[in-house]
Amino acid sequence: MATVKAEPLTNEAEADLTGCYISDLLSDVLAHASPGMLWVTIQIHRNVISCALTKDIGTVLFTCGRKPDPAVVAEADAEGIVLLTTKQTTYEAAGKLWEAGLR
Amino acid sequence: MDVGISLIVMIAITQKETGIRLAAVLLNAANGRCSRMPEPGPELTASAAVAHNAAAIRLDDSAITMTMSDGSPTETGMPAGKPLKVSVAQVLIYELRVRDAMTRPPVTAGPGDSLRTIQHLMKSHRISGMPILQDGVPVGLVSIEDIINALDQGHVNEPAARWMTRNLVTLRDHFSLVRAVAEFDRHGFGRFPVLNSAGELVGVITRGDITSCLMQHLEKRAEEVAAREAAQTTGQANDSELAEPVVLRAEVKAGDYDSAGKVSQRMRQILRMRGVDPDIQRRAAIVAYEAETNIIIHSIGGDLSVAVTPGKVVIEATDRGPGIENIELAMQEGWSTAGPLARELGFGAGMGLPNIRKCSDKFEIKSEMGAGTRLYSEVLLHKAVQPPQEARS
Repeated sequence: MATVKAEPLTNEAEADLTGCYISDLLSDVLAHASPGMLWVTIQIHRNVISCALTKDIGTVLFTCGRKPDPAVVAEADAEGIVLLTTKQTTYEAAGKLWEAGLR
Repeated sequence: MDVGISLIVMIAITQKETGIRLAAVLLNAANGRCSRMPEPGPELTASAAVAHNAAAIRLDDSAITMTMSDGSPTETGMPAGKPLKVSVAQVLIYELRVRDAMTRPPVTAGPGDSLRTIQHLMKSHRISGMPILQDGVPVGLVSIEDIINALDQGHVNEPAARWMTRNLVTLRDHFSLVRAVAEFDRHGFGRFPVLNSAGELVGVITRGDITSCLMQHLEKRAEEVAAREAAQTTGQANDSELAEPVVLRAEVKAGDYDSAGKVSQRMRQILRMRGVDPDIQRRAAIVAYEAETNIIIHSIGGDLSVAVTPGKVVIEATDRGPGIENIELAMQEGWSTAGPLARELGFGAGMGLPNIRKCSDKFEIKSEMGAGTRLYSEVLLHKAVQPPQEARS
């Protein structure tokens, strides 16, 4: 089974997923992602949380080992959003997620 | 109400407008019909994420289903009656959090306390289990079963530390009740200690707590509906008491990326409380968020105003300049004049205005170079989406 080795950043590290969307452009996520999806991005600033909240995205995976500020993690914790980070690139992570059956 | 009861909450909601006569919320947590969440592994893997995905879908299909009055659950957990997805219950079960239902402050004991002492505490507080704290940290749990065993085997005067359950499973206070129900189902425990985001013990939750909390909230909703119906039948059809118009206003500063989204989130809360369809909530939130970030990215500063009335949300964004040189171009997907910083942060996709137009039921934008831009959007709260034409050229 393919796995994405990801490290949880928030206290909460489990989530229910309805699919996955990958983009680093916030408006693109607002336009095309669906509620409950996993969002894979390299963006790590506060607006990722706002954007996820707006779209009811509960889980964000940061790639290339990126980690947001503690303040951003705290906000995600307060809002119940799961943040994860992986050392893999977006392409590698996407491949593994697809292989594992997240479609 | 405490252990062992199946989470079946029934409440009659008469809602003439929608024709829903009786709703039964079935949370088949205790009888094994609810889907089981997979055991969490030491690290989050994609396979676990996928398994959760499947669990969530089943949970959605079987565990939270509204049935008509004659509907009885079948072996698969699907009601025999005509299943109806009703937003009231879905909103509640997904939006109420563990912190809304848990008992607080928790009654606790220390590891040195005897099981006898704990038995007396349980009796006086009418509870059936309590966390054991050492230096403020939960280290175990003593349940009524432990006490019964102690009485049976004659060690009731021994300290809790010797007999308590040590492999403690806790819930976080921000978990949804749907999640809590799934955890009860998975572990078969009667209660969970609840921790806040700092890891401190803040409460204890039982199945009974969840049932009471849902009952209270459903009852409140039912009363609201009944009150609205009463007002309508007496000729005072008037939603204003249930949904006063609310206006949110905020100054938006140029370049203040860190503050973006505050107004739209507050608006979301209001719409959520009013039971507005989640899709409509999201459309309104996208309009407000995109309008706000437009001011932050492109203008020298302005204001965002959101007016929520019973029928619609009116979002107005005004800035003091510099103005949009070519609105037609700005409305095209992919066209952006955002600067390098904005682009680095993931803005400037050239989709802001097209997104706003797509999500609006009514949309106007006026701009004058040197004077500023005024954007006006309406999102209707009770109407199906009718997306305006694609902005692609």
